[in-house]
Amino acid sequence: MDIVVLRVPADGAYLSVLRTATAGLAARLQFTLDEIEDLRIAVDEACAMLVADALPGTDLSCRFTVEEDALTVAVSVPVDGAPRLPGTQTFAWKVLTALAGEVHAEHESGHAAIRLTKRRREAH
Amino acid sequence: MRLADLPEQHPDRARVRERVIELCLPLAEHLAGRFRNRGEPHDDLCQVAAIGLIKAVDGYDPARGVAFSSYAIPTIVGEIKRHYRDKGWSVRVPRALQELKLDITKAVSELTQKLQRSPTVTDIARRLGRSEEDVLTGLDAANAYSAMSLNAPASEQQGSGTAVVDLLGEHDAGMASVEDRATLRPLIAQLPEREQRIIALRFFGNLTQSEIAEKIGISQMHVSRLLTRSLRQLREGVPADH
Repeated sequence: MDIVVLRVPADGAYLSVLRTATAGLAARLQFTLDEIEDLRIAVDEACAMLVADALPGTDLSCRFTVEEDALTVAVSVPVDGAPRLPGTQTFAWKVLTALAGEVHAEHESGHAAIRLTKRRREAH
Repeated sequence: MRLADLPEQHPDRARVRERVIELCLPLAEHLAGRFRNRGEPHDDLCQVAAIGLIKAVDGYDPARGVAFSSYAIPTIVGEIKRHYRDKGWSVRVPRALQELKLDITKAVSELTQKLQRSPTVTDIARRLGRSEEDVLTGLDAANAYSAMSLNAPASEQQGSGTAVVDLLGEHDAGMASVEDRATLRPLIAQLPEREQRIIALRFFGNLTQSEIAEKIGISQMHVSRLLTRSLRQLREGVPADH
């Protein structure tokens, strides 16, 4: 199990860095293009949600856990008060779960976090 | 012989015009060189400058008493500047990358057929005889390029009562929250019909991007770009708590 950690300013302009890293790591795991693109879009969505709530001038931290057949992307930002994380009954949640598979959102000690885990489905 | 003396239909006109353009190409390349190191490959700039030159040759009227160079230089420089303005060098993908993108798109569709599944980056790299790094770069470029290459108007075929909007309807209380229904429905209804269909197939029909690509008759990479863009539009139109 390998860990890759990236920290970027919590600003939409930096999300492309995370999208690129996601695609690169997913490719290493031999994910298919369908899976890579799905995960890339999911990371984009999750990060955009968090960036919208992040305290100004803070960083978004992104922790990739690379396993043999799964990639977990955990993103978090410092927030003030209760963040507006998507509820499990929302369209946003449906989108994340359809794209990534496993989704977990939480608000703890001043941070809003979303964790996505995508497992490699297809055998090849 | 003067180009301007030859009437529009004269058999020598095309040849003389070509010759004039050839003779002036160094001028165009020199002007392109002035814009070196501003984010655009020199070859691409030379091409744009050459287009400016052709416009100058075709638009020049010696009867106005202006030397050709006085007319051509601002015309060519104008063309280069317009190129920067229109394309925006930060989002414009150099030609080599565009070609790579096209190669990848073609390889993906062929491999999907052959393997009966979506290909991996390794599959694509092997097929194209390039490194996996190259393929990833090409995929990135495909995403960056989409910012400008997708130009479907948002209001196209609006309100055609497509399935997605219905899927978010009252009957599906288990899925959509009340707020979702109120805020999302009108936003989805505003997407072009094709995008609505893609969203319906991906998120409600559970089809993969490849399957959607085949159904709609576009490439898988195009499906990915349209999905990304549609979701962005929905997100930006909906308050963050959805």
